[in-house]
Amino acid sequence: MANNIYLLGTLVTPLAGAIIALLFASDNRLQRIIGLLTGLVAWCFSAVLLSQVYQTGVQTYALGNWIPPYGIVLVADTLGGLFAFMVTTIMVGGLLYTLQSHDKCMKLPAFLPLFLLMEVGLVGAMLTGDLFTLFIFMELMVLASVSLTAISDDRYGLEAALKYIFISSMGTLFLLLGIAAMYATLGTLNMADIAEILQSGERQLLAPASALMLLCAFLLKSAVFPFHFWQPDFHTTAPTPVSAMLSSIVVKVGVYGIIRLVTLLYVEEATLLEPLLSTLGIIGILFGSLGAIRTYNAKRMLAYSTFAQIGFILVGIGWGGTLALIAALVYAFNHAFIKSSLLMLMGVVASYTKVKTADFAFVSGIGRKLPALAGWLVLLGGLSLAGIPPLNGFISKLALVQAGVAREDWINLSLLVGFGILTLIYMIRAWQNIFQRGPTPTTTETKAEGDSLLAPFLLICACLLLGIVFAEPLMQLITETVTQIEDANIYISAVKSIAEGP
Amino acid sequence: MIDFMFAAAIGALFSIGVFQLLRRDLIKAAIGFAILFSAINLFFVAVGAFEGEFAPYVRNVEEGRSVSDPLIQALILTAIVVSFGSLSLVLGLVNMVSRRYGTVDSNDVNKLKH
Repeated sequence: MANNIYLLGTLVTPLAGAIIALLFASDNRLQRIIGLLTGLVAWCFSAVLLSQVYQTGVQTYALGNWIPPYGIVLVADTLGGLFAFMVTTIMVGGLLYTLQSHDKCMKLPAFLPLFLLMEVGLVGAMLTGDLFTLFIFMELMVLASVSLTAISDDRYGLEAALKYIFISSMGTLFLLLGIAAMYATLGTLNMADIAEILQSGERQLLAPASALMLLCAFLLKSAVFPFHFWQPDFHTTAPTPVSAMLSSIVVKVGVYGIIRLVTLLYVEEATLLEPLLSTLGIIGILFGSLGAIRTYNAKRMLAYSTFAQIGFILVGIGWGGTLALIAALVYAFNHAFIKSSLLMLMGVVASYTKVKTADFAFVSGIGRKLPALAGWLVLLGGLSLAGIPPLNGFISKLALVQAGVAREDWINLSLLVGFGILTLIYMIRAWQNIFQRGPTPTTTETKAEGDSLLAPFLLICACLLLGIVFAEPLMQLITETVTQIEDANIYISAVKSIAEGP
Repeated sequence: MIDFMFAAAIGALFSIGVFQLLRRDLIKAAIGFAILFSAINLFFVAVGAFEGEFAPYVRNVEEGRSVSDPLIQALILTAIVVSFGSLSLVLGLVNMVSRRYGTVDSNDVNKLKH
C-alpha cells in the first residue's frame, strides 16, 4: 500500500508550526495567528484522512520507507483516525481561544510552540503503529503540558506541575519497562507484529507482566482512581486553553491506549481486565462527582467532573462487546467537546475578575457583568454534561445505558445512572452561583473586558449540532469504527501488506 | 555469572531509585528518578547484550558472524535522551520551587491543599 501523505501531514504540520512560531518569537500577535493557521491546516489533513480511512480502509505511512517490523510505521485505522480528528478539532478551538486571550503567560515566546508540541504528542500517540514511538510521543505531550502549567498565571501552577511530573515520570518509567519486557519476550515493538504473535494464545515469560505495566501507564495518563491525585490540581492551575485541552483530549490518550490494549494486543486477557476497568470506573464516577460537589472553585469542579466522566467511559470499555465499545467511543468523542467548551467558559468568567480566579467566593454573582450569551452557554454546556436532550451528552448517556441493558449488568448500571444525576446537581449549582445571584462584596472588583466568547460559542454550537443534526451520522461512523477494531486482523494485515510492496 | 551480576545490579538500582524517589527532599527525589531511568536502561541492555559475539557492523553481518541486536542500542540512546530531557525539566522546576517557596522539602511545598 502506498504511503499516505495526509497521515504524515496531520503529524508534521503542528511540528512545523511550532518551529515557525519559534522563528517569530519577537512578534506575539503573529505567533498566535501562525498557531491558528497551523491548527486549521492540521484539521483539514485529519478530516481528509478520516474520510479516506472510512472509504478505502486502514491508511499507513512507512517512515523513510523502512519496511515494518524493522522501521517505524504510522497507522491510521478507524480508531486512530477518529481520535486524531477529535484532537485536531478541539485544538483548533484552543488555538482560537489563545488568539483573543489576555493571560500574561501567553505573551511568553515559548507558549505557542509548546502548545503546538502538545498537539504533536497527542496526534502522534494516536497515529503511531510502534510501541516505542508511542512512549516518545506520550513523553513529548507530558513535557509540553508540564512546562505550560509551570508558567501559568495561577501562582500554584508550578507546584501542580512539579507534582504531576514526578507522578507522570513514574508512569512513563513503567511504560518503558513494559516495552522492554515486551521486546525481551517477543523481539518486536511493532503493534501489528505483537498482536499477531499474541494471537497464537501462547504467553511467554514476561508478556502478562508487560500488559499490566502498559495498563498502569495508560490508567495514570487518564487519571483513573488509584492514580488520580495529581489531576484536579494540574487541570485547575493550567492556563485556560491548556486546561481545556488537558481535561478534554489529553486524558483521552489513556482511553485510546486501553482500547488498543483490549481490542488489538491482549484480546484474550480482555475478559480478565474488564471487571477491573468497570470497578475502577464506578469508583471514579462516585469520587469524581462527590469531589465536584464539595469543591469551591468552578475550574476545579470541572476537573473533578472529568475524573467522573472518564469513569463512565471506562465502564463502557469494561462491559465489553460491540454496543458497549460504541457507547464508550461516543462518550469519549462527545465529552471532548462539552468539557473543553465548559472549561473555556469558566476561563472567560475568571478573566473578568481582577485576581483571575474561578473561585466561587470571587465569581458568584459576576454573571450580570458578563455578556448575556455567557450564561446561556454555561447552562447549555452543563445540561449537555448531565445528559439532557437535545444536546450531545444525551446521545452518549443513552448509548451507555443501552449497552448496560444489553449486558444485563444491573448493579453497575444503576450505580452509573444514580451517580450520573450528581452531575446535574453540581452544574446547576455552579450556574446559579455565577449567573443567578446578585453581586457579593468580593465580586465588585471586575474588569471591563475579558477573553472572547467565540471559541466556546463555536464548541457549544458543535455540541448542539452533534446532539441534533449529526447524532445519526456520528453513531453510524462509530458503529463502523467498532466493527473494524473488533477484528484485529484488519489492522494486522494492513501493516503486513506494506512489506509485500505494491 | 555475568547475567546474575546484571540482575543483581538492576535490582539494586531499582530499590535505591524507588527509595530516593520517596524522599522528602525534592532534589534527592529527582536524583532517584535518574537512578530509576538508568535501571531501566540497564534492563534494556540485558535484553539484547548476550546474544551475539560481534558488533552489528555490516561487514560482520555479511561474513556471517553472530552479531548483537542493534535495535536495542538505538532504543537505549533514545531513552537516554528522553530521560535527560525530563530530568532537566524536573531539576528546573525544583529550582523555581526553591526560589519561590524558599525550601525544597516537599512537606513545605503544600499551598495547594484543599
